[in-house]
Amino acid sequence: MIDHSRVAVAPRSTGDLVEIVDLGVYYNTVGGVSKAVDGISLEIGHGEILGIAGESGSGKSTVANAMLRLVRPPGFIASGSIRFRPGNGKPVDLLQVDEATLRDIRWRNLAYIPQGSMNSLNPVMRIVDQFVDVMQEHGTSSAHEARQKVPDLLGQVSLAPHVARMYPHELSGGMKQRVIIAMAIALQPDLVIADEPTTALDVNVQRMIIQTLGDLRDRFGMSLIIVSHDMAVHAELVDRVAIIYAGEVVEVGDVHQIFKRPLHPYTQGLIQAIPHVGGARRRLEGISGNAPNPSDWPSGCRFHARCPYATEYCRANHPELLPFAEAKSGNTGTTPRVACHLYHHPKEMGVRGDQ
Amino acid sequence: MTSSSKQIELNEVTQVFRGAAFRQIGGELTAVDHASFTLTADPPQIVSLVGESGSGKSTIARIILGLQRPSSGQVTYYGKDIYSLAGDEFNRYRKDVQAVFQDPYGIFNPFYRVDRVFWTAIKQFKLAKSRGQGQTLIDESLLAVGLRPADVLGRYPHQISGGQRQRIMLARVSMLRPAFIIADEPVSMLDAAVRVLFLNILLDFKQKYGMTTLFITHDLSTAYYLGGDVMVISKGKILERGAVDDVLVHPRHPYTQMLLSSLPTPDPDARWQDRLQVSAVSDATVVPG
Amino acid sequence: MFKAIRRLWGSSGKFRTGISIVGVLIVLAILHPLFSWIIGGTQDPLAIGGYDPWEVPNVDHWLGTDRYGRDLMAMTLDGLAISLEVAAIAGILSTVIGVVVAFVAGYKGGKLDSVLNTTTDMFLVVPSFPLLLTLSAYLKHVSLLTVALMLTIFSWPFAARTIRSYVLSLRSRPYVELARVTNLNDFQIIFQELVPNMLPYIGVGFANAALGAIFALVGLEVIGLGPSNIIDLGLMINWAISWGAMSLGAWPIFVAPVVFLSLLFIGVNLVNVGLEEMYNPRLRGTAGA
Repeated sequence: MIDHSRVAVAPRSTGDLVEIVDLGVYYNTVGGVSKAVDGISLEIGHGEILGIAGESGSGKSTVANAMLRLVRPPGFIASGSIRFRPGNGKPVDLLQVDEATLRDIRWRNLAYIPQGSMNSLNPVMRIVDQFVDVMQEHGTSSAHEARQKVPDLLGQVSLAPHVARMYPHELSGGMKQRVIIAMAIALQPDLVIADEPTTALDVNVQRMIIQTLGDLRDRFGMSLIIVSHDMAVHAELVDRVAIIYAGEVVEVGDVHQIFKRPLHPYTQGLIQAIPHVGGARRRLEGISGNAPNPSDWPSGCRFHARCPYATEYCRANHPELLPFAEAKSGNTGTTPRVACHLYHHPKEMGVRGDQ
Repeated sequence: MTSSSKQIELNEVTQVFRGAAFRQIGGELTAVDHASFTLTADPPQIVSLVGESGSGKSTIARIILGLQRPSSGQVTYYGKDIYSLAGDEFNRYRKDVQAVFQDPYGIFNPFYRVDRVFWTAIKQFKLAKSRGQGQTLIDESLLAVGLRPADVLGRYPHQISGGQRQRIMLARVSMLRPAFIIADEPVSMLDAAVRVLFLNILLDFKQKYGMTTLFITHDLSTAYYLGGDVMVISKGKILERGAVDDVLVHPRHPYTQMLLSSLPTPDPDARWQDRLQVSAVSDATVVPG
Repeated sequence: MFKAIRRLWGSSGKFRTGISIVGVLIVLAILHPLFSWIIGGTQDPLAIGGYDPWEVPNVDHWLGTDRYGRDLMAMTLDGLAISLEVAAIAGILSTVIGVVVAFVAGYKGGKLDSVLNTTTDMFLVVPSFPLLLTLSAYLKHVSLLTVALMLTIFSWPFAARTIRSYVLSLRSRPYVELARVTNLNDFQIIFQELVPNMLPYIGVGFANAALGAIFALVGLEVIGLGPSNIIDLGLMINWAISWGAMSLGAWPIFVAPVVFLSLLFIGVNLVNVGLEEMYNPRLRGTAGA
């Protein structure tokens, strides 16, 4: 009944699936303009799993929201474009298309699993009816056709067909999350965005969800964006990781490189703050200082106040996110990009050679 | 050790909840099932109580803190049942056993500035004779947890971060110098970097002030980092206990083994190789091997 | 708390408008003896036969006079004062009773809660208006206080109900548990921790109780079953109807009380809505802060 073979499916096409260019999402607050996302550029390829990591308040969830134009006042899109090239459709800029086209794209090409969505299943509708609701709203099938597809969809997330007749309160947390994932893939989208999909779940359920999400790419060729503050989730699941700090991408690279040879001091701080069961007994250091205020980002490099390597140059100059070829990862040949003067302006920092 | 020494002893503590909410499962829920263990202050120790949500670990915390009377069994301090203490003895228990809770947002009354949690404790437990003395005490305890008084005093809870709030709670605890700290998931809602700072402070407290901590968590890796002893609890029963280096590295009980194998490792080169067999009708999983 | 009021004033147009309207009405009511003196000079403007009856609004009598030659402006302001007095007394009394009952029931829980709940329900279920009609048929000449007490009996359960549910939701907040662990007693917890967070709800409860009282009284009087020795806005409407004032063209005796009552109603409701928007973020169109 359950197919355990891990068949790698060839990507649906070449080229980038999504290209985010200089995205800016600001909020009008009583205290001024809060620049939650301030110039983020990222790309995701077909059949790729990208992880977006960062602490709370870094802006990572806002990036996910913006991709589906779910930003509500007092938030607004301040800048940028999001170019989306679905396998079977025309390339569009998600921030510019009209509402009708956007509704077409939502769920059919681009699915979104918001944080805590397993708790927003309609408590008075059976699971099958909620599927039919979604599929009719965004697809072209009739209610009858939609109903036929439900057992199959449930099977894809390893749920028994009779779960369709149940109500949400009869399901456990992990089952609800799997239902949500099944609903997200109901129309076979090209890209699924999941925001904190494993938070608030027990550890064995987390593993199950991580496995299920991995299957979406391995068996169906979908691309995934996983937003999570939990670095261990990224280690287990994703191909590349983008580290967000203070509304910007400070480092993006292959997952092996990020964990084994993190470049940006913030990434280094994140990686070494993870306790590892069975590892050597040593004292871990956190990252000193506090996260900065989005209404008042620090000057120059936004991390300079908390960085052990910061100099006067860092306080005055804002670093660009640029490729650093010396740390190119052997596995996939991805060149990491890092926004840190240590790598791009070593002379001004008084650094010689490799770190 | 005689029963008149400084220890909290749980003896066959059981908590059963009854009510209409549990009709589907037979009318009652046994949250804690004959739990027995001892926490000593001398020598100070760190004991982690690890379990998933619904395992009963938070209920145990509330029972020890005197917030929930158990259905049966006893919690004793200096040999006496804490739910029968009165007057001075009860006040002593309150001073000797303090708490740190999970939610850094809910732990402060939003109506007052954060200073109030200190002054309330100072007044209730008569920690200072004058306002000046109290202020000094507050400043010292903030510095002891790595916070600058000017950064947090005089502010409202929503004006400071979750990590700062939890550290203020630790500062409050350090001011009271209890013998025991009952910490109920204190770092679950904190980011990774701040988590480490918090855990380091707990380790320092044991070293500097000789405080024993009962650390309640669902996260095995934080339990491992703290070292000391660990108890694994599921469905109200304590299944396995022992030193962290023993239980978490060579687990004997299948439940502990399952928890450990489900822990995501922060090493992309060491991903799970085998596939989890998931149940089609529940959250139960079977890990091969 | 005053900061909260200032914040409300600043961000909510509805609150500003509502409070302004209500404020003006209250000022007018408080100053009504002054106005009477200004209007009447040496004589009492409400004495029967003081002026020519049925005068049309003119320079001496801005709203004209009534059937018995009483100045209508003075009468309206007087009536407004009385309506507000009744509202204040009934409102305060029913809020106090409701709050006490609600807090005791909500916080203590258990049997006390069940008993108080049933009592509240009993009062709620009894149809208040017919009972008021019956009572007033027996009490034709009563004092203001008696009227207010009568109205209080029927409005306190509403306040109690709403407040109890808020107490229930606040009772298990982490900061309440922290207060218990800091050895605060129940009294201290209710007054120091819970009440400050409920002030806006208590305020809304008071406003609703007060409004309810005014309109219950108006209702009684328009039918002709209110106490007839006190002239208030409702009685004026009753006279307008029974004297056929509209067909006589004497519109002020009808219009003036209706206008003031409407203003009061609109004002209080705007304040309520403003308060609700402030404290229930989901109702806000755009977020303030």
